[in-house]
Amino acid sequence: MDPAEVEFLAEQELVTVIPNFSLDRIYLIGGDLGPFNPGLPVQVPLWLAINLKQRQKCRLIAPEWMDVEKLEQIRDQERKEDTFTPMPSPYYMELTKLLLNYAVDNIPKADEIRTLVKDTWDTRIAKLRLSADSFVRQQEAHARLDNLTLMEINTTGAFLTQALDHMYKLRTNLQPGESAQSQDF
Amino acid sequence: MGEAYVPVEAGLGFEESFLSLGDILMSQERLPCRAEIALPRLAAVLGKAGPEPLAAVPEGTKLEIPLWLAKGLYDNKRRILSVELPKIYRESWRTVFSADANVIDLHKLGPFYYGFGSQLLNFDSPENVEIAQTILQTFIGRFRRIMDSSQNTYNEDTSVLVARLDELERVLFQVGQKGLNDFQSWERGQAQITATDLVQKYRKIKFIDLDS
Amino acid sequence: MAEEPDQEGSEAGSEEVVLTPAQLIRSLEQAWMNEKFAPELLESKSEIVECVVEQLEHMEENLGRAKGGDLKVGIHRMEVERIRYVLSSYLRCRLRKIEKYFPHILEKEKTRAEGDPSILSPEEFAFAKEYMANTEAHFRNMALKHMPPNLQKVDLLKAVAKPNLDSFVFLRVKERQENILVEPETDEQREYVIDLDEDSQHLIRYKTIAPLVASGAVNLI
Repeated sequence: MDPAEVEFLAEQELVTVIPNFSLDRIYLIGGDLGPFNPGLPVQVPLWLAINLKQRQKCRLIAPEWMDVEKLEQIRDQERKEDTFTPMPSPYYMELTKLLLNYAVDNIPKADEIRTLVKDTWDTRIAKLRLSADSFVRQQEAHARLDNLTLMEINTTGAFLTQALDHMYKLRTNLQPGESAQSQDF
Repeated sequence: MGEAYVPVEAGLGFEESFLSLGDILMSQERLPCRAEIALPRLAAVLGKAGPEPLAAVPEGTKLEIPLWLAKGLYDNKRRILSVELPKIYRESWRTVFSADANVIDLHKLGPFYYGFGSQLLNFDSPENVEIAQTILQTFIGRFRRIMDSSQNTYNEDTSVLVARLDELERVLFQVGQKGLNDFQSWERGQAQITATDLVQKYRKIKFIDLDS
Repeated sequence: MAEEPDQEGSEAGSEEVVLTPAQLIRSLEQAWMNEKFAPELLESKSEIVECVVEQLEHMEENLGRAKGGDLKVGIHRMEVERIRYVLSSYLRCRLRKIEKYFPHILEKEKTRAEGDPSILSPEEFAFAKEYMANTEAHFRNMALKHMPPNLQKVDLLKAVAKPNLDSFVFLRVKERQENILVEPETDEQREYVIDLDEDSQHLIRYKTIAPLVASGAVNLI
């Protein structure tokens, strides 16, 4: 999957905005939104939040976890544990990027947040590579990968699954007879 | 996203992929053989042409023929042809591989180390099991380095990194690079969902049609 | 506009499943992701596609009547565009698989027992047949007719690689599953069983869990 498509999925996550306009309830195909009243917080999908923000029609409220102290804890925990710790959002990376790109004026300490999230990401990707290597080395048949996010899986996933496919075929070489029909034309 | 041309992947193991350019190139690699019987009228075809174009290849002649031809002539019931193992699949080299597969320049020795090695198993060598084992372990042993180099190098000249990789490893390296590059350009905000090349071209064609 | 949850998608033949429009869009997204990550062509979700198209047409009709520039209309348009993206990406992904595996897909279709659902929509079936005919004609005209008579045939079933059902996939579990048999990778290993807990994520061979993808118990990621 393309990272832009993972981002597309992330854009469906609900965030809170404070609109500066009034609008009745909207009945979208994917669910109802609103009503919108100036100054009253309302939940909308991120794609709409960004659009409204770009048109200066709202202020964005950062998700609760997008906070230096909380993210420091998350980063430290991630560095301490060998396994993948649960993330505050399955789209933590995408939300951080999108919110900091489009609503940086609504998010305090944006630069620190960016660095903390990136550090956490890097730690997790390093772990992912470590587990990929041991999976290959042990020639394992199954791995449980709770708490990995779609974006994380996507950056290394294609490489890993393709390597495992090759390995599988090389292993079938050891069992002649089973798949030993060479192709004749 | 919208690649108009998706190349056919190489097969691996006993099966070649008929429509894969990689496999066609691989099966063109030469294999040392010995004619176990006289091969009538094949001298010219097998590159042993003397003054007589339709001469036979005498029994015992050493030949270097492409893999696809060797496969076609080989028959485990009638001994027409015996196949010699190329040196990198022989025991002495297998020992080198098992010591440290990472130091070996597989491109220079290959460049189709895995694919060609798997195809060799079609010739019923008594060393088949050891060859298959070595190929598999070589892949496992080199995996980490390929993963790390393909996932750590952004916007750099990668020719040095892939220089020593076998063709299969190069394809894998590119997959890893694509994962990294796609992510990095997304992170920098350069990746957006756009219409594919095909759609864009199609729109242009339509436009021209309307004009004329 | 679209508030009445009157969409019906009949899945798996006999039982009628009633979906709200929101659920409908979610099942389209699910089908999209599964199709993207599955090595083989999955069963066509024609009902979902038809219902989504209907929803989109209905919405566009309403939007056509509305005056432009309105904030509300703009939001509806954006949503329509997003849904249309998923829909066309889903259909395109299926077309690409058909182009890649067409002889095997058509063979499966040929040997399908009467009453079994087809994995192709009628449009896809027509596309696959045409693609097959064009490929054969192309091979014949470009190369095969110039070959000696005994070499003028290429068996496309053999020439075109099959989907690799042994490939590994990532998945997330929607409904808990017990006693999934994991086959050993090497001679030294033994087979073992695992349970798939709800919301857990796994890396495993597609073949092992293919029926669970089809039934919707797990989602590929």
